[in-house]
Amino acid sequence: MKFVLLLLAVLSDATHAETRFFTPSSLQTILADRTGKPFILSLWSNACAHCPAELKNLGELARKHPGVDIVLVATDTPDEAQLLEKLARSYGLGKTEQWVFADPQPEKLRFEIDRRWYGELPRTYFFNARHRREGHSGVIPLERLESWVGEHVK
Amino acid sequence: MAHDHAAHQAPKRDYAKVWQENQEKAPRLAVAASFDPAGRLWRVQTVGKHLQLSHSDDGGAHFSAPLTVNREPELISSDGEARPQIAIVGKRIYLSWTQALPQPFAGHIRFAVSLDGGLSFSDPITVNDDTRPITHRFNAMLADQQGLTLSWVDKRDGTDRAEYRGAAIYTARSTDGGRSFEANRKLADHSCECCRIGMASDRDGTPVVFWRHIFGRNVRDFALARLGEPLHRVSEDDWKIDACPHHGGAIAIDAEGARHIVWFTGAEKSPGPHYRRIDGKQMNDSMPFGNLDAQAGHPAVAVSGNEVTLVWREFDGNANRIMRMHSTNRGTDWSTPGILASTRGAADYPQLIRGQDGLWLIWNTAEDGFKALRVGT
Repeated sequence: MKFVLLLLAVLSDATHAETRFFTPSSLQTILADRTGKPFILSLWSNACAHCPAELKNLGELARKHPGVDIVLVATDTPDEAQLLEKLARSYGLGKTEQWVFADPQPEKLRFEIDRRWYGELPRTYFFNARHRREGHSGVIPLERLESWVGEHVK
Repeated sequence: MAHDHAAHQAPKRDYAKVWQENQEKAPRLAVAASFDPAGRLWRVQTVGKHLQLSHSDDGGAHFSAPLTVNREPELISSDGEARPQIAIVGKRIYLSWTQALPQPFAGHIRFAVSLDGGLSFSDPITVNDDTRPITHRFNAMLADQQGLTLSWVDKRDGTDRAEYRGAAIYTARSTDGGRSFEANRKLADHSCECCRIGMASDRDGTPVVFWRHIFGRNVRDFALARLGEPLHRVSEDDWKIDACPHHGGAIAIDAEGARHIVWFTGAEKSPGPHYRRIDGKQMNDSMPFGNLDAQAGHPAVAVSGNEVTLVWREFDGNANRIMRMHSTNRGTDWSTPGILASTRGAADYPQLIRGQDGLWLIWNTAEDGFKALRVGT
């Protein structure tokens, strides 16, 4: 029995990245992990009717451009982490770095990320190699994602 | 084509489970309250899978033991801009809420009435006559001696129709004190999917409905319509997005019939909360307000004679606070914004309700409890 549980644990570890908890300092961690590298930060939620389309486009982007670095941040709650991973995986984003909001006051985390983001979802930030960022609200068309990749990802 | 409208794509199956779990444990900060004709304050809130009603005779300092409204448990949307609604006419207490269904973004518009001043309630009924498990959400309610009107966001016309933009505003009316409802009527096609609806009575008693609409392909600006009449576009922010703003507006109508509206836009030319007065066909300039760097949003508006009051929520990095601005000349000139209340924890959005002795702010907070403050005449 113990062996079966262990095996299950190993298998489940192998099949999904572990979701990290997003707290007020997490954006700095994400940036520090990527010094000098461009990436896409994508904020989404399971309660957002437009987010499936965004995940679909990001999944397609990851499939066509394996070198692109995407960071997913769900604005839901930590106890939803596993289900959020499953959702991301179902869109081909299983290997993508994933975070979930971990604060009873989402406004606090929004404040840390961007004071001028009003909570609308999906919300995407394109970070260039120097980490200058460009924020967009709403589903980003795949062509737009690909043109960013063409410009910034070598 | 990547321009596919998200809401038209069937979400993956796992969305359902996440959605349901979220509905079961989401913070229940979103409450509603109303004064009855005798000055007693009634509050409705969601506890677990039940709607609970209690009352206060000391302006919200102490509340009675709660009465459970729905005997059968059900998931109740009470988070963010989705909240139960209460309206009181004489001895009648009307309650409406959205039952959250296991399917993503799906719900039913529910209703129950007390005919005996809140001692007992009718069994809840589902008001939407399309009963598929799809979006029927964001219930709004308006009641007076003539009748009771519910309005909500309804996806019945867009389900399985990929070309249909957004959802629709549907309404239902009862003229027998909530015992029965007339057939559902569509007020307008192509509303935005996930914002609260505002309602107010026109001078002749006709309900006026105010909502975030989708103009053209994806411009999410505001519209209003009298019940049974065509809509008018009342904001020209030109906020083009395929996104869920989760951020609607509110309306009050004064004795001269002018509409006082507040709403939120993220449009680049002037993001943030806005106020505007509309006199007949004349739309006055819209006025932005609130601190954009403090997430100013979710405003409420009230009008009494020439006095107009705006309240909204801000977060300064440490505390949530309710801000107020006030006009004594029908929204032409305004006071500087002032802080009405604040809390360091999670907080509901502010609401304005009228009591015998004036205007009250209703605000629920996680750390400092429920607040009812008299804020004007």
